[in-house]
Amino acid sequence: MNPNATQFLTLVRREILRFVRRPYNTFLPPIITNALYFSVFGVILGSRIGEIAGVSYLQFVLPGLVVLGAISDSFENASFTIFHGRWNDYIQAVLTSPMSNRSMVAAYVSASALRGIVTSLLIVGVGLIFTSVPVANPVYLVSFLLVITTLFGGLGVIGGLWASDFDYLTVMNQFILRPLVFFGAVFYSLEVLPAFWRNVSLLNPMVYMVNGVRYGMIGVTEIDPNTSLAVLTGTTVVVLSVDYVLFKRGYGLAE
Amino acid sequence: MTEPAIRASGLAKRYGDVQALDDLELTVEQGEFFGLLGPNGAGKTTFINTLVGLVHKDRGTAEVFGFDVEDDYREARDRIGVAPQEFNVDRFFPIIEVLEHKAGYHGIGRKAARERAEDALKTVGIWDKRDTRFDWLSGGMKRRFVLARALVSDPDLLILDEPTAGVDVQLRHDLWDIINRMNDAGTTILLTTHYIEEAERLCDRVAIMDDGQKVEVATPDDLMARGTDTIVLDLAEMPRTAPRLDVEGITDIELTDEGLAVTAMGGSQTAPAIMRELEAQGHTVTSLDIRRASLEEVFVDMTRDDREYAEVSA
Repeated sequence: MNPNATQFLTLVRREILRFVRRPYNTFLPPIITNALYFSVFGVILGSRIGEIAGVSYLQFVLPGLVVLGAISDSFENASFTIFHGRWNDYIQAVLTSPMSNRSMVAAYVSASALRGIVTSLLIVGVGLIFTSVPVANPVYLVSFLLVITTLFGGLGVIGGLWASDFDYLTVMNQFILRPLVFFGAVFYSLEVLPAFWRNVSLLNPMVYMVNGVRYGMIGVTEIDPNTSLAVLTGTTVVVLSVDYVLFKRGYGLAE
Repeated sequence: MTEPAIRASGLAKRYGDVQALDDLELTVEQGEFFGLLGPNGAGKTTFINTLVGLVHKDRGTAEVFGFDVEDDYREARDRIGVAPQEFNVDRFFPIIEVLEHKAGYHGIGRKAARERAEDALKTVGIWDKRDTRFDWLSGGMKRRFVLARALVSDPDLLILDEPTAGVDVQLRHDLWDIINRMNDAGTTILLTTHYIEEAERLCDRVAIMDDGQKVEVATPDDLMARGTDTIVLDLAEMPRTAPRLDVEGITDIELTDEGLAVTAMGGSQTAPAIMRELEAQGHTVTSLDIRRASLEEVFVDMTRDDREYAEVSA
């Protein structure tokens, strides 16, 4: 096998093994959290809400919860593995190897995106216990999930390089990402908002992600999915480029 | 013409007010066992980290086997195995997997990486701990493991930053044997150490660094020859005061409990003239003992300034 491919696959494999071997830390929490979401918001409250956009409330919130899990885990995976490697210096085993900066970035982002997608599937699996899960536009669904998890894997790399303490990781995940997702039309339709707040919501990038995945699953969207996909893809390319430049400059990695 | 294993020219690195590397000039030939000595803060680790990409130089050039460490970093790093002073090991995996990963980062396929990992663990004598995580190894085993990780990619240049720091005598000798075998097989070794005896015993040449610069490069014997030896002479009748000796190279003469102690450059060359001079003055020399300057004494002389040398103790 080509040495470049071997280097890339070794780091991807190492990253996958790290999260696969610790399911209590990586996969169990989203399963339990989403089971609670489905129970409370879907079954207990949802039965009183009725249909939104022609589907049950449970089916309406499912795409948003999938996005929430996917971006949280892809971001958390990349930021944690890089920061933890820096904190304990073992990332130096990678940095002092002949791997190219491009391969390093690609490996960290790919493994993180994969974790986000696995989490998405687990959330869908939990959703299946409570309701049927439609897939109206599979190509869009897969495309949005790939772009979203790659984007947040890339953002996680930046976060992992920037963080100088574990608190930074918490701040990024809990105080920035999570509020954006919660106000990203996960639990409600933009139509229910007053015009002012609807326009404000459109400034939130999560709205486009949630609507895109929702379009893929239930075929309903309030924003043109092609535009969303194009903007998100462009953003992802920019973020990955930033990742590459940071690695090349040794930001957070070299003195 | 064969490229040197390491060539640094005008290499400089500054951290704030500290000039860690100050136009360092240094060449290490292929196959050499090269020692890098210097007090704390001399710039040894900064130099090593520049070679492996953990420090970005401010100016100058550094090459490994002719490959620039920044422009051709992939080629340069592929030839280096490094065992750092501080433990920087992946704690998530058993040590054999850590080695497999390291080999993989160097482009070695999984099957071959497994074999390399097994060989490396056997070489350093911790094969039976292969499924243990790093944190659960003893201090000595950790040192062995860090060496194994440096070996797993079969490097042409093995960089060892204080490889025997804090290990017992037996393990130190075991590690020396391993490193010597690597060097005998053609691997270039760059060793930093605070144990001067280690440099004396192992190194073909030694560079003494201070304040980010190279102070001197020579073989340990050459360096020791530049130090002042002590010649202790027992005379048949000891005089009440130290005699005056008109011999070139003498820096001090004193009477001690052991006899007449003459401090001189190049004791072996000076001793016959001292004996002739003493006999000319009517003394009879009954025994003579030349105590050579140690590399440690030379090292301290060359790097002497206002700093503490607490860590230079043998």
